[in-house]
Amino acid sequence: MSERPARPTKLPLGLLLALPVLVTVGALIVVPYVNIVIMSFRTPSTTRPYAPGFTIDNYARALTDSFYLELLGDTVRLAVMITALCLVIAYPAAYHLARTTSRWRGVLYALVLSPLLVGVVIRSFGWIILLANNGLINQMLRALELPALPLMYNEFGVVLALVHVFLPFMVLPLMGAIQGIDPRLEEAARSLGASRTKVFRRVVLPLSMPGVQSGCILVFVLSCGAYVTPALLGAGRVHTLTTEVVTMLDQFLWPRGAALALILASAGLIAVWLWAHFSGRTMRGLA
Amino acid sequence: MTRLSIEALEKRFDAVRAIAGIDMEVAQGEFVALLGPSGCGKTTTLRCIAGFESPSAGTICFDGDDVTGLPPEKRDIGMVFQNYALFPHMTVNGNLAFGLEMRDIAAGEVQRRIAEVLGLVQLDGLGERYPRQLSGGQQQRVALARALVIHPKLLLLDEPLANLDAKLRDEMRFFIRGLQKRIGITAIYVTHDQAEAMVMSDRIVVMFDGIIHQLGTAEDVYDRPATRAVASFIGLSNFFEGTFSGQVGVHYGLDTALGRIGCGAGFALTPGQKATAMIRPEAIGLASAVPNGAAAFQGTVAERYFLGNLADYRIKMADGSVLQVQQPATASFAPGAVVHVILPADRAWLVRERAP
Amino acid sequence: MKPGRAAYLTSVAAVYVFLMLPISIVVIASFNSGKYLRFPPEGFSLRWYAQFFASQPFMDALELSLVLAAVSTLAATLIGTPAALYYVRHAKNWRETFRLYTLAPLLLPEILTSIALLFLYYQIGLGTKTVAGLYFGHIVICVPFVFLQVTASLYNLSPAVEEAARSLGASPATVFRRITLPLIKPGIINGALFAFIISFDNVTISLLLKGVGTTTLPMQVFDYLRWDFDPTTAAASTVSILMTLGAVLAVDRLVGLRAMRY
Ligand SMILES: Nc1ncnc2c1ncn2[C@@H]1O[C@H](COP(=O)(O)OP(=O)(O)OP(=O)(O)O)[C@@H](O)[C@H]1O
Ligand SMILES: [Mg+2]
Repeated sequence: MSERPARPTKLPLGLLLALPVLVTVGALIVVPYVNIVIMSFRTPSTTRPYAPGFTIDNYARALTDSFYLELLGDTVRLAVMITALCLVIAYPAAYHLARTTSRWRGVLYALVLSPLLVGVVIRSFGWIILLANNGLINQMLRALELPALPLMYNEFGVVLALVHVFLPFMVLPLMGAIQGIDPRLEEAARSLGASRTKVFRRVVLPLSMPGVQSGCILVFVLSCGAYVTPALLGAGRVHTLTTEVVTMLDQFLWPRGAALALILASAGLIAVWLWAHFSGRTMRGLA
Repeated sequence: MTRLSIEALEKRFDAVRAIAGIDMEVAQGEFVALLGPSGCGKTTTLRCIAGFESPSAGTICFDGDDVTGLPPEKRDIGMVFQNYALFPHMTVNGNLAFGLEMRDIAAGEVQRRIAEVLGLVQLDGLGERYPRQLSGGQQQRVALARALVIHPKLLLLDEPLANLDAKLRDEMRFFIRGLQKRIGITAIYVTHDQAEAMVMSDRIVVMFDGIIHQLGTAEDVYDRPATRAVASFIGLSNFFEGTFSGQVGVHYGLDTALGRIGCGAGFALTPGQKATAMIRPEAIGLASAVPNGAAAFQGTVAERYFLGNLADYRIKMADGSVLQVQQPATASFAPGAVVHVILPADRAWLVRERAP
Repeated sequence: MKPGRAAYLTSVAAVYVFLMLPISIVVIASFNSGKYLRFPPEGFSLRWYAQFFASQPFMDALELSLVLAAVSTLAATLIGTPAALYYVRHAKNWRETFRLYTLAPLLLPEILTSIALLFLYYQIGLGTKTVAGLYFGHIVICVPFVFLQVTASLYNLSPAVEEAARSLGASPATVFRRITLPLIKPGIINGALFAFIISFDNVTISLLLKGVGTTTLPMQVFDYLRWDFDPTTAAASTVSILMTLGAVLAVDRLVGLRAMRY
């Protein structure tokens, strides 16, 4: 009786379950991405999608032309700024949310999550009402007879709005990491004579590093790829790689746009690869 | 009511041999406990019997019919899981009806059987509750009822009492055993609790590292353990290593560092062979004067602990070894006192170092 | 209260204010009677809502958004749920690869996915002549959200429960229908909710893939904001927020609280 197959239905059934996603992601992610990689080596043409022949000129240009290099630099600089601001702003809130025993905890948690339920356009819209040249804030300044400030159509507005958009993505992994730290460790450190500040620096912060890493990687990647908010709050006066790529599409410079987009994505992909190494907890936290 | 026979059963998980070849026969209506330390393969054995694991080798027969290749749903077993595994989205009635529905039993009969089994586990009136509305002990009894209501050939239980508090666990032991006897169903019960195994079962299977060291009654495994591992795992024991000197009547002589001691044995030896004897602490006698007619060894009381009904002594012997001895608390020997230690030959037993 | 603690609590409170500020401003602006939101507000009015519901372009956009979100949700649920079952119960050696593969639409920058799809559509001759391409784009970015939710609910489902059903005589198919499916239903519905919201709010995919002459609600708002300020967009935004909120509350009533208890 030893020739009996182990769980005979297992393999075909399993593949049947995986098939829909294999096909969908294959056709709508893998194929287009392979295609865009090929496209990035095509010769550009302004009259049709691309001219015959292959070239590495699109990459060479993007990586040597000072305009594109500056753009890449700006994009990364903005992303780093947004990530750092998110971290600093999110940490106290995440710590509070992780440690509070208040009966408002559920409400606060919902408050942190709720911006995710509102589209990026609408959230950017709110900032426009506040920050525009004749927006609420400048109106108030004028009412107080103070000089109006340029709050929008510049990096300040874009960074502020993007920090807002991505803040929940920083709070959630941080909160998860801090919840995982046994509160008794903090008590133990206090009992050994450490001040609150010291406890934070020597115990809480180091132990929450996985959450800090996940959150930073997530926000960094999302910031690099952000398009809607820079387009709305920058309104053509703040340029990032994404806004430039979309402009190129309008000008029909597809191969060049493809190369530029891929350079941007590889910066992000390296970060994603790092993220994959810091386990899948972050996204599960979102779920 | 079913006879279970397992032959040369083996289960490998990649490199790990969770079960390394076991044979056993369980008679109709018998209650057998699988006992052993964590990771010895108890659960794996039970899951092979249930059909959740397919063995790497060997056969499993119910009443002589080979079921090794059958999926679990075709085996007609009732299983009680450690965390009960009640269906959280069904009421108690729903849980109990599930197995009957799988057997296409008519609605009226389903009602009758549910009522019957609820009475049996003393949960009348709780049929409409959801599992989360029940206490741990009640959930446990629902799990038992769900396994029994289908009138299975075999009842399999995997540490069903592990999550209950001590008092409830004690009650449930007698409850489950009583129920099993009343119904007369054959039962296999996994536990790592020796007291539970001894109180409940007709026979105990003691396993280590995927093999059976001993299969016997509670008295067998306690008084006549087959191996040193069994003796150490169940109860307390003192071991004496020595050389077999020859048989005197029913007793075997063993020359140890203390001197010659007599003991019983379940296997044959040749004179000159190395062997180990064991004796339980409560089987050892202590006397202040040299006793008449019995072989005694002199020692000194090193420590004495009061256990309520018993006194627990550490006796330092002439060869430097220390014996653990338990005596009724009434007789008292103070630390430092010189005592005579009696090792009754009919309470000492030769154990093997390895499984036979 | 010590000054340190007061500063800490103030900073925490400031974060919540910051999070809610722009959203509340949009809602307030939609009820403001003037064209520009002033401080203090000029008065309460529903005129922007009247304009919104009277606007054919906005109504068409709302309809497309709703249909698009509904179709994407259904498709993503039908694709993501079996994928989660495969990942938790069947995938062996390439589990993590499979997870990354399935999550790829979420991990890759949406704008890049959008561009890549646009190029492909043009090259295979589909272009943006039909809305089919828009549907495909939305479906693929919704799949990971269903996958994550159902995966989580499968992890919470003890395999012993399914084994118990097998031991009681249920075939694997019956176990799935009677035990697994009812128990992961909350996860599936939550995943569908996520998918709905993601599709309903999406701009980046719609931006490049929407068919000629059609537009979704967030795209319409986006276009309005780029060229002019019009409080009708505030009314449109508020309606969209309310619809999302409605979906969340409906799901909460349906499975949310019970999902917590299992
Ligand atoms: N699915 C599996 N894959 C790999 N190894 C396994 C698997 N199941 C069990 N094992 C291994 O087989 C051995 C026996 O496991 P088993 O669960 O049968 O032990 P047990 O006696 O029930 O222990 P416990 O008292 O802790 O429940 C262990 O070494 C365990 O690690
Ligand atoms: Mg076990």
